[in-house]
Amino acid sequence: MTFIEKTTDHRKLRRWEGNIEADYIYTSGLAGERFFTELRKNGRILATHCPRCDLTYLPPRMYCERCLAELRDWKEVPATGRVEAFTVARLDEEGHEAPEPQVWAFIKFPGIHGGFVHIVAAPEEKVKRGLEVRPRLKPQPLRTGEITDIEAFEPAEH
Amino acid sequence: MRKVAVIGAGMTLFRRRLMETPKELCFEATRMALDSAGIELKDVDAVISGSAPDGFDGVHMKGEYYSDGCGAYGKPYMRVFVGGGTGVFSAISGWYHIASGLADIALVVNEEKMSSCQPHPQSVFAHIWDPILDRPLKPNLIWIFAMEMNRYMTVHKIKKEDIALVAVKNKRNAVDHPCAQLADPNITVDDVLNSEVLAWPVQRLDISPPSDGAAALVMASEDAVKRLHVETPVWMKGVGWCIDSTMWTDRDLYFPEYVARAAKMAYKMAKIDNPRKQIDFAEPYDPFDYKELHHMEGLLLAKKGEAPIMTREGVTQRDGDLPTCPSGGLLGVGNPIAATMGVKIGELYWQLSGQAGKRQIPHEIKTGVTNAWGDLMQYGAVAVMGV
Repeated sequence: MTFIEKTTDHRKLRRWEGNIEADYIYTSGLAGERFFTELRKNGRILATHCPRCDLTYLPPRMYCERCLAELRDWKEVPATGRVEAFTVARLDEEGHEAPEPQVWAFIKFPGIHGGFVHIVAAPEEKVKRGLEVRPRLKPQPLRTGEITDIEAFEPAEH
Repeated sequence: MRKVAVIGAGMTLFRRRLMETPKELCFEATRMALDSAGIELKDVDAVISGSAPDGFDGVHMKGEYYSDGCGAYGKPYMRVFVGGGTGVFSAISGWYHIASGLADIALVVNEEKMSSCQPHPQSVFAHIWDPILDRPLKPNLIWIFAMEMNRYMTVHKIKKEDIALVAVKNKRNAVDHPCAQLADPNITVDDVLNSEVLAWPVQRLDISPPSDGAAALVMASEDAVKRLHVETPVWMKGVGWCIDSTMWTDRDLYFPEYVARAAKMAYKMAKIDNPRKQIDFAEPYDPFDYKELHHMEGLLLAKKGEAPIMTREGVTQRDGDLPTCPSGGLLGVGNPIAATMGVKIGELYWQLSGQAGKRQIPHEIKTGVTNAWGDLMQYGAVAVMGV
């Protein structure tokens, strides 16, 4: 055997095939149910607040990760957030060049712990740290109670 | 090594499908355990979690994913996994975190959400087999258990009726468990014998089904027990674990030698030389009714082939001489693999601290033993606990 014979396609070699026949159905959970229902019905983005640790969690959780208190205090997230960090994806999941570069950002909101990692619908040259953005939701009848009900974040207009 | 006690425990409902996410299940059990110990998360030095394959919940690295629900944020944390043995082994891991002096107070949290996996968790279980030697024959886990059960019955000439008595006992005991999925106050041996045959001699009511659930323990050093003025600490007296050949064809299926070795390790540490006399009650791992009997023998609580006779004579009833699975076990409470810690280590804690409520063994008990079994059906984890 020599390295000259190496191949990068393992399927050309002698092999046994295998397949794990499992697929998955998930539950949104107790906090997730309220978060997604509110997003779908009323287009509001909610967070949960821990009074003891003074942290407001987004996405909302039913417990505080710092003190493990059960959280019952729900708050609406401010409409405008800021880009904390971003990247521009140029290849798709197959490794081919994407039709157009896609901007991904970590978006934070004033007074909120956590935030969203989501798509930013803006030309890449416009996106920078600190850019103010707002969520663009699907129209209510098309919303299904999923994270993709937020289509993208767009630069906030003043 | 330092002395280690369990000072609090909690568990969620065990159900076929729960609304809670894996993180939320962990939170509910952990919060309950902290409250039961009368401590807060800031008092905890280390967190250990146990869970079965990621393939059940359908989240890779699930131990990291749900760790915030276990209270692990900002603390030393690790997940342990030895298949079905995790239900006892994660508590052993908690024990060595404290026995070693590394931590004074540790949380142990086990979780399983099997309902995510479709069409059935068997799809994931089926891939424990060797992909070249076994998988092309499409084996099913139940066939292997059926062969083990049959071998056990054949060697000792055990009647199916005597094994069915275990399912009846445990599903009736589970009536008194607030988390039970499968309690049945009226079940009879005939119900078990008339249930659907899956792979002879295994019938539907011989098995515990998949479940969602979580369980948690608070464990503490002797110093912490004194500092917190814990009134009813339950001490980890001995622990043992052992793995047999990975080739299931290389084991004699009628007796779990690896359980016996793990038990001997635990008994030596607990200074027990006559388990049948010195152990007051047991929570052997019972995903199948015959496994309770198999494990009683592996735990040296019965001579080989004797466990079915003890069961028939009522010795293993809650008010018998050796109450066995007073919780209702996996057969009665449910089988969310690693989370069965709640009906094994958890039940030993609740019984020995006098908090088992309607399940409380009516006579005085000082020492209990439990085991969990898993991996490729060749892993044994054993714990002896006492007051």
